[in-house]
Amino acid sequence: MSALTTVWKKEFRDAIRDKRSVFAAMSYAFFGPMLMAVAFFFLISQLTDQADVGIEIEGKEYAPQLVEFLNENGIVEKQGGWSENETPIILRLPESWSTKIADAEPVEVELNADWSSQKQQTDIKRVEKAVQAYSSQIASYRLILRGVDPRVVQPIQLQKQDVATKGSKAALIMGSVLVFIILSVFWSGMNVAIDISAGERERNSLEFLLSQPLSTWNIVTGKALTASTFSLFGAALSLIIIPIIFAYVPLHEIGMNVNFSVGMMLLMFVLLVPLALFATALQLFVSFRAKNFKEAQTYISFLLIIPMAASFGVEFARLKNPILYYLPLTGQHQAFLSLIRGESINVMGTVISGIATFVAALLLIKYIARLLKSEKIVFGL
Amino acid sequence: MINVDKLSKTFKSVQALNALSFQAKDGEITGLLGPNGAGKTTCLRIIYGLLQADEGKAEIEGVDANVNPMGARKNLGIFPDKFGLYERLTVREQVAYFAELHGLSGSAQKEAVSQVIKKLDIEELADRRTGGFSQGQRMKVALAQALVHSPKHLILDEPSRGLDVMSTRILRDVLREQRAQGTCILFSSHVMQEVAALCDRVVVMASGKVAAEGTPEELCQMTGEEQLEDAFVKIIGTDEGIAA
Repeated sequence: MSALTTVWKKEFRDAIRDKRSVFAAMSYAFFGPMLMAVAFFFLISQLTDQADVGIEIEGKEYAPQLVEFLNENGIVEKQGGWSENETPIILRLPESWSTKIADAEPVEVELNADWSSQKQQTDIKRVEKAVQAYSSQIASYRLILRGVDPRVVQPIQLQKQDVATKGSKAALIMGSVLVFIILSVFWSGMNVAIDISAGERERNSLEFLLSQPLSTWNIVTGKALTASTFSLFGAALSLIIIPIIFAYVPLHEIGMNVNFSVGMMLLMFVLLVPLALFATALQLFVSFRAKNFKEAQTYISFLLIIPMAASFGVEFARLKNPILYYLPLTGQHQAFLSLIRGESINVMGTVISGIATFVAALLLIKYIARLLKSEKIVFGL
Repeated sequence: MINVDKLSKTFKSVQALNALSFQAKDGEITGLLGPNGAGKTTCLRIIYGLLQADEGKAEIEGVDANVNPMGARKNLGIFPDKFGLYERLTVREQVAYFAELHGLSGSAQKEAVSQVIKKLDIEELADRRTGGFSQGQRMKVALAQALVHSPKHLILDEPSRGLDVMSTRILRDVLREQRAQGTCILFSSHVMQEVAALCDRVVVMASGKVAAEGTPEELCQMTGEEQLEDAFVKIIGTDEGIAA
């Protein structure tokens, strides 16, 4: 049995007994998607739900059907008075309503409001629209009664779809989901990575381990594999939980349709494997240089900014440079973007970025192994 | 045999070792005696290859740990300056880990682990996790880790510090037993009684150099003192940093 697997096995057994490490790996996967789902839930309901408009209706006893129609469309009798910076919106219905409707004569309905008021404009427009809608409804009935197809007087139907705002919100939602998945490999193995490097030093067991007849390469690789195992466990958990939770978020209400297929999730997991190794190598690099657990924790939280900046930065700066497909981190991010949009992925770029990530991780491990031969690093001289 | 030849080591402006030379023979217990800060730990760390010597060499059975650390450590048991235990592992798991790192596997490994646990009389602790162990219990686990692969050489850095009488006696018995098996034992200490009781040869160190060398009796004769402690004080010229 090689020394590498010996170290891996021992570190894994050690780490899995550390409740803090296991909890850290799982909590991110469990609570992260839940928090995100709750945030999206509110975002979506804010986007789609419109509060009722309160107005004053004078003479509502003359036209109960109209009032009912308005209520159905979210226009209701104002409860309480108007505030100082509001001008009352008043809809006046005439006494002659029912007789004029019966005689098919135009009814004059008065809408009293301040059109220059920015704040109330949408409210006023909604009242106008509702009244017009009721008007055309009556028109349709009248035409039908006279044997005329009401569509004759509606030559053009304008379909309004507000893609601009919803589209950008959708991008925001999916963007944060992707960043979340990528961050999961950085987050879930973090505690283990600190514990087996800075923790080992703090517990004074590093010197003895380094005096054993095995190369520092085997030590570092064994430790990196342990932390990667944890980070992949967290990533897998996130990938499983995200589709389950997102099934309950009404994404279709903002015109989004994301299909988390099993194949896609598996592909994402595969793409995350080299990234997990890279993430833990980075964390080991930082925390082997720290004197104790706390110091390492501080440094590593700064390290978390790198993946966040890389993925959010690309996302919001709308960077479109072909090199992004080939680099570590951004390569995986681009592949995820394509996957979630249902586009075909850049196979060449994805493979190259995967290999680049793997090579970068190995080089980093090699460098840490060299650091551990240096008495400056080991004894902090 | 451990052969230390003109070792020199400087940390920034402090000269820790200054052309230090001595030998530790097989089947003998060699004590490295010196006040705090004499360079004992530095010397031992160079011998097992954690520190690089500026000049000179330290060889274990002819292998220099600065050149070939893997080869030098194969036949070496170490009880380091700081012995942290893996508190989430049981004693058996922990000792087995280091046995495995020394290439023992399967039934040979199990056998070696049980034997060393029996030898140190820690069978009732064997399947407990080491978190919360007393100083004496921790020392025994660290000693078990150092001995599990039956090394030909044993290096101990102040093994008796913080131990009660019972634990110290167990430590001495184990070291004598190892000596009887022909093991080359080198240990550092600043505790006079221990050195007098245990060592075949004493190397007295002061400021990175050998101040005197010989059996405890020889050292007393050399200085014309009855007690090793007095001899020691005379040799290094001060009683600073020495515990009786």
